[in-house]
Amino acid sequence: MAGKSGRTINATPENVWKKQIFSWEGILVIIFIAVIILCKILSPNYTFTNVLREMPKYLSEIFLLFPMAYILLLGEIDISVGSIVCLSATAGCLVSNAGVPFGGVVIVILLTGTICGAINGAILVKFPELPSMIVTLGTQIVFRGIAEIVLGSGGSVSLSNTDGFRMIAKKAGPFPYVFFLVIISAVIFTVISVKMKFGRSLYAIGSNRQTAFYSGIRVKKVIFTAYTVMGLFAGIAALFLTSALYGANTTTGKGFEMDAIAMAVFGGIATTGGKGRLVGGVISAFIIICLRIGLGQINMNSQLILVIIGILLICAVLLPNITGNMKLKKKAN
Amino acid sequence: MKKKLVSVLMCAAMTAALLSGCGGSKDTPAESQSANEPAAETETKTETESNEEAASGGKTYAMITKAAGNPYNEKEAEGFKEVIEANGGTVIIQHPEAATADAQVSVIQSLISQGVDSICVAANDTNALQAALEEAMDAGIKVSSFDSSTNPASRMTFANQAGTQEIGQALMDAVYDISGGSGQWAIVSATSQATNQNAWIEAMKEIMESDSKYAELELVSVEYGDDVPEKSTTVTQALLTNYPDLKVICAPTTVGIAAAAKVLQDQGSSCKLTGLGLPSEMAAYIGDGDDFSCPYMFLWNPIDVGRLSAYISMALVNGDITGAAGETFTAGDMGSYTIVEAADGGTEVILGPPFKFDPSNIAEWKDIY
Repeated sequence: MAGKSGRTINATPENVWKKQIFSWEGILVIIFIAVIILCKILSPNYTFTNVLREMPKYLSEIFLLFPMAYILLLGEIDISVGSIVCLSATAGCLVSNAGVPFGGVVIVILLTGTICGAINGAILVKFPELPSMIVTLGTQIVFRGIAEIVLGSGGSVSLSNTDGFRMIAKKAGPFPYVFFLVIISAVIFTVISVKMKFGRSLYAIGSNRQTAFYSGIRVKKVIFTAYTVMGLFAGIAALFLTSALYGANTTTGKGFEMDAIAMAVFGGIATTGGKGRLVGGVISAFIIICLRIGLGQINMNSQLILVIIGILLICAVLLPNITGNMKLKKKAN
Repeated sequence: MKKKLVSVLMCAAMTAALLSGCGGSKDTPAESQSANEPAAETETKTETESNEEAASGGKTYAMITKAAGNPYNEKEAEGFKEVIEANGGTVIIQHPEAATADAQVSVIQSLISQGVDSICVAANDTNALQAALEEAMDAGIKVSSFDSSTNPASRMTFANQAGTQEIGQALMDAVYDISGGSGQWAIVSATSQATNQNAWIEAMKEIMESDSKYAELELVSVEYGDDVPEKSTTVTQALLTNYPDLKVICAPTTVGIAAAAKVLQDQGSSCKLTGLGLPSEMAAYIGDGDDFSCPYMFLWNPIDVGRLSAYISMALVNGDITGAAGETFTAGDMGSYTIVEAADGGTEVILGPPFKFDPSNIAEWKDIY
C-alpha cells in the first residue's frame, strides 16, 4: 500500500492493529458464548427456535451495520440512516396502498433509500470541509421531516395489502429468510473489506486521507459509494421492518443509527477511522441481539437492558485504550 | 501476553458483573411467584365453589404498557396486577423501552417465547402490532387491548375506558359551557398517531358539525405535545401567542393538560382549560374564578380500566368468552359486562361514562390517583 511518495501507510499501523484487534475478536467470540450460556441459564425459553423466531425484528438493524462499518472505517459517520429507513418505509407503504405490485414496491423502497444515501454522499463530496456528523444530522431531520409531512396528521400509514410483505417474512424451517440475507451480506461486505481494492481504500482513507489521496485513491468516489450503499441498505432494512410492522409511522427506525454505530464500535471498529474489522462488528451485533432476547425473556426492565448494553459499549471502547496506555507506560519505563 | 491477560480478566469481570446483575432480577419474579402460590392455594381452598377463580391459578397474564414513566398506564397496571394476583395468577407487566410500536413488537415476541396465557396491550400504533399479535394468537395466547386499541384483526376484544362518542360529547359540552357558546378554541393532543386521541378528536369534530348549537365555536388548531411536558408547554405557549382571542383549550391527554394548566395559570391567561387529566396532577389548577386555569375536567378511573382488562383476560383464558359481540361475563365486584360491537369493526367492553372532576370533588380524588 505504499504510495508514490514512498511513505508506508500500513507497515507500522497494521502490526499494532493486527495484534490488538485479533485478540479483541477472540474476546468477542468468548463473550458471545458466555452470553448464550448466561441466557440459557437464566431463561428456560431460550431455545434455538425461540431465539430465531424473535430475531427478524433485530436483524433488520444488522443491514445498517455493514455499510455503517465502512463509513466509520473512513473516519466518517452517518446518523441519518434511521430517518432514511422511515422515509423509505413510508414511500413503500404509500405506493403499495396505491396499488403498485409488490415488485414495484420493493424497487421504490430500495430506490428511495439509495437516493437519500446518494444525497448525503453528494453533499459530503461536494463540500469536503463539512463534518459528516453535522451534514447527516441535517439530513436526519430533513428525511424524517419529509416522512412526517407525507404521513400527515395521522402520523402513520398501514398496508392495505400485506401479501408480498408476508411472503418475505416467511421462514425456511426455523430460519427466517432475512437471516440468510444477513449472512450473505456479511460475507460479501467482509470479503470486500479484506480482499478488494475498495475495501483497502477504506482503511487507507480512514488512516490518512491526504496520503490516500496522493497515493492515487479516488477518495471522493469511495466516500460517495459508501454513503450510497448505506442508503441502499437502509432501504433493505426498511423493507424487512415493514414486513414486521405492516406499515410505517413517524417513529419507524428511530434510533437505528445509534444501534448500528454501537454494534460497530463494540465490534472494535474505531470511530476515528482506519481501525477494526467487519467480523468483529458482526459478532458484536449477534452478542447484542442474543443478549437483548435473553434478558427480554426473563422480563428484565427494558430500560435496564439498555443500561447494560450501554455499559458493555463503554467497556468495549475503554478496554483497548486501557491496555494501550499500559503498553505505552511500559515502553516509557 | 500481559495485555491479553488483562483483557481476558476484564472480560471475566464484566461477565461476572452481568451474571450477578441478572441473577438479582431473576430472583424477583421467582420470589413473587412463590409468594403467590400459597395465596393461590388458600384461595382455592376457601372459594372452591368459585370455578373461575380457581381456574386462573397457575396461569400467566402479561400486560404491555405504552412506555415506562406513563403514570396513567402505571395505575392501569396496578389495577390489573391486583385482580390477577388476587385470583392466583402470575402477572408480567412490561414497559417497552420506547413509546413506539417497534419496541412493543420485541416485547410481544419475547412473551410468545415465554408461552404466557394472555397478553393485553396498550397499542402505540393501531396496525403495526398486527403481525406480532397474530403470531401470538396462533400460538394460543389470548390477546386483548386496553387504553389504546389495536386494529380488529390483532385482538379478541378491547377494554375501552369510555365510549368514543361519550368522551367526545362530554368534552364538546365542556368546551361549549366554558366558552359561553361562542369563540375560538384549540386542542392540545398527545402524539399525532395515538389511536385513542385521534378517535376522540374526530368525534368532537363530528359532534361540532352535526349540531347548530356549536355553530359559533371555531376550532382554530390541533397541536401535538407528544405526551412530553416540555413540548406540550411549548405548543400551548405558541397557541396563546398565535390566537390572542383563544377562549378554551381542550387537552384530552393527561400530560398535555397538566402542562397547559401550568402555562395558563402562570400567565393568568383568560383562556380556560378542560380535557382529560389525572386528579393528583391537576388538583392545583382546578377551581372556580380567575386564579385557576381549569374549571373542570374528566377522566375515568385508570385502576378500574386495569381491573376490567384483568377480568377480560381471565375470562378469555378460561374460555368463558371468545371476544364475540353479545357475550357477557362477570368482572368481580365491578358487576356484569357485555361485549359490544366497536366502531372499528371489532368488539369492545366499555367501562362506563367519563367521570367529572370539579372543585367540589377534586380534594377527595387527588389523593387516590
